[in-house]
Amino acid sequence: MQLNDKASIRRALAAATCTLLGSASQTSHAEGGDEKWRVDTSVLYYSEQDRVTVVEPVVFLRKTTGEDSFVNFRLIYDTMSGASANGATPTNTPQTFTSASGTSTYTTPAGKIPLHDFSDQRVAVAVEWDKPVDHLSRAIYGINASTENDYRSIGLSATRLREFNNKLTTLTIGISGSYDSVMPIGGAPTPMQLMSSVVPPPPGGEDDEGESGKTKLVTDAIVGITQVLTRRALTQFNYSIGYSSGYLTDPYKVVSVIDATGATIDYRFESRPDTRLRQSLYWKTAYHFDHDVMHFAYRYYWDDWGIHAHTADLHYRMELWKGAYLQPHLRYSTQTAANFYTYSLLNSSPVPAYASADYRLGELTTTTYGLKLGVPVGRTSEINLRVESITQSGNGYPADAIGIQKNYDLFPTINTTVVQITYTGHF
Amino acid sequence: MTLLRRAGYWEGTFEAMASPCSVLAEVASAAEARRLLDLAHVEALRIEAKFSRYRQVNILHRINSSGGQPIEVDDETALLLDYAAQCHALSQGRFDITSGILRRVWRFDGSDRIPSAESVAALLPWIGWEKVTWRRPHITLPAGMEIDLGGIGKEYAVDRSTLLLAAETQASLLINFGGDLFSTGPRADGHSWRVGLDDPTATGSASAGEIEIRRGAVATSGDARRYLLKDGIRYGHILDPHTGWPVPDAPHSVTVVANTCLEAGMLATFAMLMGKDAEKFLINQRVTHHVIR
Amino acid sequence: MLARPLFILLTLLALPACTLTPVQPWDRDLLAEEKMQLIPDPVENFIDEHIYFSKEGASGGQGVGGGGCGCN
Repeated sequence: MQLNDKASIRRALAAATCTLLGSASQTSHAEGGDEKWRVDTSVLYYSEQDRVTVVEPVVFLRKTTGEDSFVNFRLIYDTMSGASANGATPTNTPQTFTSASGTSTYTTPAGKIPLHDFSDQRVAVAVEWDKPVDHLSRAIYGINASTENDYRSIGLSATRLREFNNKLTTLTIGISGSYDSVMPIGGAPTPMQLMSSVVPPPPGGEDDEGESGKTKLVTDAIVGITQVLTRRALTQFNYSIGYSSGYLTDPYKVVSVIDATGATIDYRFESRPDTRLRQSLYWKTAYHFDHDVMHFAYRYYWDDWGIHAHTADLHYRMELWKGAYLQPHLRYSTQTAANFYTYSLLNSSPVPAYASADYRLGELTTTTYGLKLGVPVGRTSEINLRVESITQSGNGYPADAIGIQKNYDLFPTINTTVVQITYTGHF
Repeated sequence: MTLLRRAGYWEGTFEAMASPCSVLAEVASAAEARRLLDLAHVEALRIEAKFSRYRQVNILHRINSSGGQPIEVDDETALLLDYAAQCHALSQGRFDITSGILRRVWRFDGSDRIPSAESVAALLPWIGWEKVTWRRPHITLPAGMEIDLGGIGKEYAVDRSTLLLAAETQASLLINFGGDLFSTGPRADGHSWRVGLDDPTATGSASAGEIEIRRGAVATSGDARRYLLKDGIRYGHILDPHTGWPVPDAPHSVTVVANTCLEAGMLATFAMLMGKDAEKFLINQRVTHHVIR
Repeated sequence: MLARPLFILLTLLALPACTLTPVQPWDRDLLAEEKMQLIPDPVENFIDEHIYFSKEGASGGQGVGGGGCGCN
């Protein structure tokens, strides 16, 4: 026995005893003493330059209800305000937009990327039950619900984990479903409808808010394997598949209609297919150096809208003194455009069944640099602060831009800053 | 077997594994206390019957009289053998369940009769876990070797009984098999359980102290009545399997508090095996402990 | 079109049969640390998943059942 292996013999012995006495889920049984509660309270500040600002307090609670059984509770409150791009391209004249019901309008100065103001609040709750089924299996059942001005969601999820191979391998299977309803402010537009054809209601008429209730059903499934590789390394591979059906269009977004000179002459409300099949392969590895820990993840995503995306994510936790740590974070993601994504529509071309100029469906690269500092508080708690800088960019000067369009950046880079402070306590 | 009503709890006692055993339960009814006592009693006797080297028809006897043939073992025995193997590796060979045959030459009766160097050396070829072939579910012991689970049997019985009883009741329990004990939680009024400790330097069983335990296990490795004394040198009963002789400068007793009795007992045994470095080992492992020299 | 990802998945499924020396239970000390969990900080992970769900076309991969929002 090495006399300088501080506490490692004890830990090893505790693990061996667990195996002998048959405690469930030894690898997932992270350290902890007698504490029954874990609380994470956090405030997030998210700000897209010149666009949306979100302030979001969050509370996560976990109660240990028995040997290896937990209940997780999550409460999130979002306030969002600011403006987001409505999909139209900048042009050399001021632009005026109207809602689908014609009840409200907003304008954008010449040469600016059109933005749509909004202000919203969202509340989301979720509860999860996480318990052993037998000495090799666990089950996690969850229910979640959220509501905001124009959107409601309710969902269920179930996951089953089973250990093999002396608890070195875990097989995970999960499914979830959610039923969402959209009540767009200003009504849901007819797909591909010309904005010029929208007739404002007569004065004194009812504001068409939420009358056109649209719904969608989103289902997901996942199959994964988690494998202990060495004393220092753990890895996971997941395959996920999801199917969404219903109203998948964004009711506030439009596509500019341009003439042969590239000038914007009208807009069409966007339209997306009413089904979407999504798949992904996800791989993550955690590696423990002498003191530091590194997490690396890669995801390949593809769907039947034509989007393919590669995402790589790296966290490196550098242990400082006495439980404090510094964790740089790097994330890089690129995606191809959806097959119905377009910068604008040419008025002389036939009207396609689906079209969207939402930059999030376009050919997009997202780069994130972040840094997190964690400091222990007392014996069982921690405060951490993280700052992230996210840059999203695409091709602002596509080759097929026409006439006046060539003078403008059709895909402005979006810079976002995220600041989050979290307190984690065990009681 | 007895069952007595004490202030706020029931105390049940019985004899098993050559030790006085008690189950203290903070339940309301005698019937409930009786039921828990019976469960613990049955489990203790079951483990004793299955793994005692004094029985003629159990798995241990079959293994020890196998004459070099592989013996297939059940899941529970396999888990115990895995555990013994892990402890052997963790202690770099000092904890060894094949070292039991040394009792043929060492009799720790407080006298001055120590064996000759030749008689001890003659046994060494039949000691050593590395000579055993353990490939689950078959164990092959070379002819002449024996395994002895006495070093973990009592602690295993305490932990098993506690698990069984804790599944039956939410009430606070204290299970004590001859000084190896486990408490599932503090008393309902918030106070700890109080248990008397044996004084290893006394010849009788006079209580020399009390420990308070809220939740967790306590195990003691000690030579209260098992030692030899010759020419002023005390030979403790913890033997080094590599030499066949007692570990030099071993403490008189080591008591450890841990999350399970097996863990506490094994840490106490490891500490004894470290001889003069027992305290240093226990401090490094950051366990609550008490060492008597 | 499905063949390539399926092939990758089957190769990955063969991983547990790899002839790495199995990690003994007493060597699981590092893996038991909270910072070695695959999701060491659930709040940060949840927030980031939500942020990138609302900003990109791709999503998911780690699990199921996060809940919907009107943000994409």
